[in-house]
Amino acid sequence: MSAFVPDAATLLQAAADYLEAELLPTLAGYHRFQTRISANVLRTVVRELQLRPAQHAAERERLAALLGHDGEPAALQAELATAIGDGHQPLDDPALIDHLRRTLREALAINHPNWAAPDEPTASKPPGARA
Amino acid sequence: MTERAIDTATPTTTLAAALRVVLARQARAHGEVQSLQRLTGGATKQTWSFDWVCGDEREALILQQMSEAPSRPGGPPKLSAEQDAALMTAAREAGVPAPRVHRLLRPEDGLGSGYVTGRIAGETLGRKLVADPALAEARKRLAAQCGRALAAIHALPLERSGFLQRLSPSDELRIYAGLLDGLERRHAALAYAVRWVAAHLPQQWESRVVHADFRSGNLIVGPEGLRCVLDWEIARIGDPMQDLGVLCMRTWRFGGEGLAREVGGFGAREDLYAAYEAASGTRVDPDRVRFWEVFSNLKWAISCVRRGSARRADGRPASVELAAIGRRLEEPLWDLLALTTQDAGGRR
Repeated sequence: MSAFVPDAATLLQAAADYLEAELLPTLAGYHRFQTRISANVLRTVVRELQLRPAQHAAERERLAALLGHDGEPAALQAELATAIGDGHQPLDDPALIDHLRRTLREALAINHPNWAAPDEPTASKPPGARA
Repeated sequence: MTERAIDTATPTTTLAAALRVVLARQARAHGEVQSLQRLTGGATKQTWSFDWVCGDEREALILQQMSEAPSRPGGPPKLSAEQDAALMTAAREAGVPAPRVHRLLRPEDGLGSGYVTGRIAGETLGRKLVADPALAEARKRLAAQCGRALAAIHALPLERSGFLQRLSPSDELRIYAGLLDGLERRHAALAYAVRWVAAHLPQQWESRVVHADFRSGNLIVGPEGLRCVLDWEIARIGDPMQDLGVLCMRTWRFGGEGLAREVGGFGAREDLYAAYEAASGTRVDPDRVRFWEVFSNLKWAISCVRRGSARRADGRPASVELAAIGRRLEEPLWDLLALTTQDAGGRR
C-alpha cells in the first residue's frame, strides 16, 4: 500500500489518460507514434504496480517446489535457467512446462494483456509431448 | 521494425541538395527533389520518400540509408548496400516483385551507404494489411502470391549470390543465441527455447537463397495483391523452409486470428503451401516449417531482449520505442511454448 495519495498507479494513469485522450489527437506522424508508445508504456507500469506483488509470491512458491529449496525469485529463476541450459532440467518435465506457462501468462498480463488466450487450460493436458 | 511513420523532426534541406547531385549524375541533369520526408522504418537504416521532378516528369522514389557498421564476424548476416542492391536486382530479373534499384550511393555523395529505388504505392503496415476492408480481395490471393514469390526467391542461382553467408540450422542457432552472450539476463523460458531448438535442428535441408524476413510489415500490398517484397538485407543461403516459417509466425500475423489466417494474418497455410509446391516443384515439409516457426520466435525473443537493453552512449535508454519492445519478450516465448508442447493439430 502506497504511503502517498494519490498512489503511483493513479499518477501514471492520469498522465497516460492525458497523452492518449488529449495530446494524441493533436499529433500526426512521428510524434503521434511516439506518444502512443509512451502512453502504452505508462499503462504497462500501472499494471505492473497492481499485479506484480501477488505474482512475485506465486512465482517464488513454484520455483521453490521445482528446485527443492527456497530463495529470492531472481536467484531461483537464474538457477532454473542454468539447469535448463546445461541439460540438468529435462525439457519435457510437466512441472517445468507448467511453471513456464504460468510465468509467461503472468508476465503477459502485465506486458501484453490478451496475448495469451484466456480460456486455455494451463496444466490439464499432457505437456512436453513433442519436446 | 514494422511501423513506418513520418518523422517531422528531421531537417531536409541539406539532404535534398545532396540527393539532387545523386539523381543528376546520369542523363536527366536538371531535376528537382520535391516532397522529401522521412519514413521511419527501423533502427539500423533510414528511409526517405521523395519525388524527382524533371520538366513534366515526376518519379516517385525512395532513399534508403544503411548504417555504416559492417556485419560483425560471427554475427547475423547483414548485407552491404551494394550486395543488397545486387540481390534485389537478381530477384527482379527472376520475376520476384523486389524494389527497382535506380542509384547506388557513392562515398563522394556524402550520404553514407545506401541506394535510391522506385517507390511503390500500397500498404506496408501489418495491422492494416490484415484488417483494412480495402484489402479484402488482396488477402484472398496473398498467400498464394507469397508462395510463388518465395518459390522464385528459392530458385535464384546460388552462383550469382556468392556474397551471401551459407548457414546451416546449427549455424543459425549459434549466431543468434550468441547474441545473448554478454547480456546479464538469465531467463528460464528463453533457456528452454534455446535448448529446444538445439535438440530439434533439422538434419537434412537444401541450400537455397533465403530472404529470412519475408513477412507482413515487409510487403507492399495493393487492392489487387502483392506489389513488392522489401527488406532484403538479412538474406542468406540456407533451408528454404525458414521463409515459410517466418511468414507464419504469430507475431507477424498482427492480430489476424484463426486457421484461415495463419499465413501473415491474411491467408491459409494450404494456399501458401499449394502455390509454393506448384511453382517450385518441391514438397513443403510441414515439420521443418514448424521448426523454423519455433526458431523465428526464438530469434524475435532475442531481438526483444537486445532492443530492450539498447542504450545511448550516456547510458540512457536508446528510445521509448526500443525500450517498449523489450517488454514484448514473452509474446514469442509464449507462442514458442505452445508450438513445442502441443500436437500438430492444436492451436498454433
